[in-house]
Amino acid sequence: MARFAMLIDASRCTGCNACRIACQMQWQLPPERYYNRLEHNEKGTYPNTKWEITPIQCMHCDNPPCRDVCPTGATYKRTDGLVLIDSEKCIGCKYCMVACPYGVRQINYDGIPEKCRFCAEYIIEGKMPPCVSTCMNEVRIFGDLDDPESKISKVMAKKAVYQLLPEKGTRPRIFYVRK
Amino acid sequence: MIKISRRTFLKASALAGLASSLPLMMNFGDYTKAAELAPVTRIPTMCNGCSSTCSKYVYVKNGRVWKVEGNPIDLKSSGRLCARGHGMAADVYGLGRVTQPMKRVDDNSFEPISWPQAFEEIGDKLYKIINESGGNSVMWLGHGGKEHYANTFLDEIGSSNYVTHYATCFSSKTNVWDRMVGTTLNSDFDNADYMLFVGRNFAGGIIPGAMNRITKAKERGAKIVVVDPRYCELAIIADEWVPIRPGTDLAFFLGIAHTLISEKLYVRSFIANYVYGFEEFWSANKDFTADKAAEITGIPADKIREIARDMALNAPKAFLDSGYHGLHAHYANSTQIAMMNVVVNALLGNMFKVGGLMPGASISLGHVETPARETPEKGPRADGAGVEEEYPTVEPSRGIPQIVPDLIKKGRVKALFIYHYNPLRTAPDPEYQKGLKDAELVVSIPVDWNETSLHTAHYILPESYYLERTEPPKVVSGFIAHDNPQIAVRRQAIKPVHNTLALLDMLKGITAAAGYYNLYPFTVEDEIKASVKPLGISPDILMETGCIEFPANVKPVFPTKDGKPALNTFTGKIEFSIGAFKLYGRPGVATWVPPLVMPQGEDEFRLIHGKQPWHSHNFTGNNPYLMAISDKYNGTWMWINKGRAEKLGIKNGDLVTISSEKAVKTVNVKVTELLHPDCVWIPSPYGGFSEKLKTAYQQGINYNDFIPARVEPLSGSVMGQEVVVKVSKGGIS
Ligand code: SF4
Ligand code: SF4
Ligand code: SF4
Repeated sequence: MARFAMLIDASRCTGCNACRIACQMQWQLPPERYYNRLEHNEKGTYPNTKWEITPIQCMHCDNPPCRDVCPTGATYKRTDGLVLIDSEKCIGCKYCMVACPYGVRQINYDGIPEKCRFCAEYIIEGKMPPCVSTCMNEVRIFGDLDDPESKISKVMAKKAVYQLLPEKGTRPRIFYVRK
Repeated sequence: MIKISRRTFLKASALAGLASSLPLMMNFGDYTKAAELAPVTRIPTMCNGCSSTCSKYVYVKNGRVWKVEGNPIDLKSSGRLCARGHGMAADVYGLGRVTQPMKRVDDNSFEPISWPQAFEEIGDKLYKIINESGGNSVMWLGHGGKEHYANTFLDEIGSSNYVTHYATCFSSKTNVWDRMVGTTLNSDFDNADYMLFVGRNFAGGIIPGAMNRITKAKERGAKIVVVDPRYCELAIIADEWVPIRPGTDLAFFLGIAHTLISEKLYVRSFIANYVYGFEEFWSANKDFTADKAAEITGIPADKIREIARDMALNAPKAFLDSGYHGLHAHYANSTQIAMMNVVVNALLGNMFKVGGLMPGASISLGHVETPARETPEKGPRADGAGVEEEYPTVEPSRGIPQIVPDLIKKGRVKALFIYHYNPLRTAPDPEYQKGLKDAELVVSIPVDWNETSLHTAHYILPESYYLERTEPPKVVSGFIAHDNPQIAVRRQAIKPVHNTLALLDMLKGITAAAGYYNLYPFTVEDEIKASVKPLGISPDILMETGCIEFPANVKPVFPTKDGKPALNTFTGKIEFSIGAFKLYGRPGVATWVPPLVMPQGEDEFRLIHGKQPWHSHNFTGNNPYLMAISDKYNGTWMWINKGRAEKLGIKNGDLVTISSEKAVKTVNVKVTELLHPDCVWIPSPYGGFSEKLKTAYQQGINYNDFIPARVEPLSGSVMGQEVVVKVSKGGIS
């Protein structure tokens, strides 16, 4: 069984937003809806400054609060790790949106809260999510942590990584490279 | 945003030929079902989101564009596309497109006309103008691209007036490199150990393949230094950001050169063998020390020396990137800046060296043979580029686009064709540029209702969108050093959504109607066949793959002939001194030329501008996807230094008034530590004023509003950052 995950090296991100729009095209989202976003952070005072950008999307948590609060079981975790939503079961109560500490869920025009789905249909065919493959700076690596030969396994073995908001106990499947 | 249900969508797409102008919107369930229903085809083509024209694949489903992906063979994309590449693909369905030929009926309105009527009326008028005023009164003004079509026509009528947008972008670079080196050279990102970028933000004016190489170089330990008044996106991944007082880059380069020479760090053998005019340069600049440069630039002298020494240490695997828009059209000393770029690199001895600057690999394409025609002698250029008494050192092949309204007033230009170009928004002083409409005939050939078409065109002839047309192949080159030549082709991916044509078909129609028969006796398919003939490949292979790479033909050796340097310059060497400049009474070598203006008062700033990573100057400003990104990240805001803002009582997000002699405007500001105190920075995509481009309309402001239409005399550029603006809290009351 695969254990899908993503490694993000935020220090390489220059904020071009190609990942956002490649995903929008892939999933035919309207302009104002998106599944990944950038957090901008300016540090220091002129001229000793830094501009840091962190790409953020659904973390596909191993302990997802969005699933735990869902009254109908619409949000579920697949055995390969993907957190997905069954739109047939969703009643649009938005509990999941409130519960997600990363603020990654967005209501679609059907009233269903959607989010990054790790390109579920694509990755099982061995294809890369567009947010990964379009990035000129190769910020993201996507792959199977159970496969020691995968690029993500190899890079993670070499680099120190961290997760966002570990104190929430969500156990994200997205890891960030420590600077 | 209008919402459509899945049912509506399927219905609409079932009607063959009827293309909805709405983006497709489905939820995932719907998407999966639709994907199952419709076969997907993948068509290779070339992007037009910016002028890098990356090769990419278009996925088409139900006859509609679904998504795009980079072509991994292509040097420019390296298989990766920027936001513009994705967004502008969706714009084929954009609401701003001109949907059929239009004729102006009065100041504010147009009536749709048929293509035959458009050709006939334009042909008649053209015939009369050429008869009465001569062929030289016809001008072709364009952003570049498909020059050969325009030039066939201009040759036929005897006009020398082909004018490009270069003067608003990088004309001092092409002018200078051609004279000093006889060619342009590209940064060898793959092999360099030290990269200096001054006023060149590869992460803003993106070429994905270049950024991909730069981040990989960083990974293997190359040092990256960015000198820029703004902490630009490239600075994010750099080892160091060195802020510089805007407008003083020339002094920085002179300080670097002085350090290299005075500390004997330069490569003497390279200078001795391959450079002409070194002594002349040195004697003119002996006193321009790093300390003097420090005074002018605000960069500590030690930092200037350190950069020079580090570069020398890493040479020849070190370069100063040759730059682009930022420094090559916007200052009174832009020509000298370009000259110093050549000088600094030559001092490092890095030209034609691995890890330094290398020529782009090229290959010769074939051409369609057409019967020779008798053509009249051409008159002098209307804009005076290359003309003895006017602008003798400005390249005639580029021209001076910003002064065309004057040329019309003087009676030099009677008929004006504007191709894929929007000077009312991308050249200085839009009110002045509106004078374009006073020509006897103004034909604009755009894809959308840009400001120039709306306000000046007598006829608008919409070109098919880049995804709707096939074009002859091009050699892929520029900015990135690479040993293997590549060619790429633009291939039609979908049927035209509207009643539009390819440029070739328009020109066939117009010229025939004006009495020039069979001027283009070929089809684009003929051109493709002829292009690839000398390469020993079939057109089919090219059309199937989109981009083809050939065996390497670049070697890291200085070009010589019979043992002597053989660059395409007078001496065959790199010329530090430009003879043509001396001939017209200017110094042959670069020396310090102060900027035209300097901000003085508490409320005064130099107005500078730049690209935003998800926009391509003004061309993408009406794209709903790209503008949604601008909305989310306050992309339209003007940047101001925090310390300066505080003194003026300005807080982040405030509305401010910004004024120059030319304009007074209101805009929100981003108060930031990421900008030099002497300037304010405006991203270039905004300030739309075409009512027909609803997404762009009145979003943000544009730097061109604040500058007069001027001409830098040596290279003809607009000097777009030679302007001081006053900034005050609050909007215009
Ligand atoms: S595509 Fe890459 S560089 Fe661009 S914003 Fe996304 S993560 Fe950052
Ligand atoms: S993994 Fe797929 S769904 Fe998630 S952000 Fe990337 S492209 Fe979008
Ligand atoms: S850089 Fe971006 S917009 Fe320009 S051609 Fe490439 S993908 Fe298209």
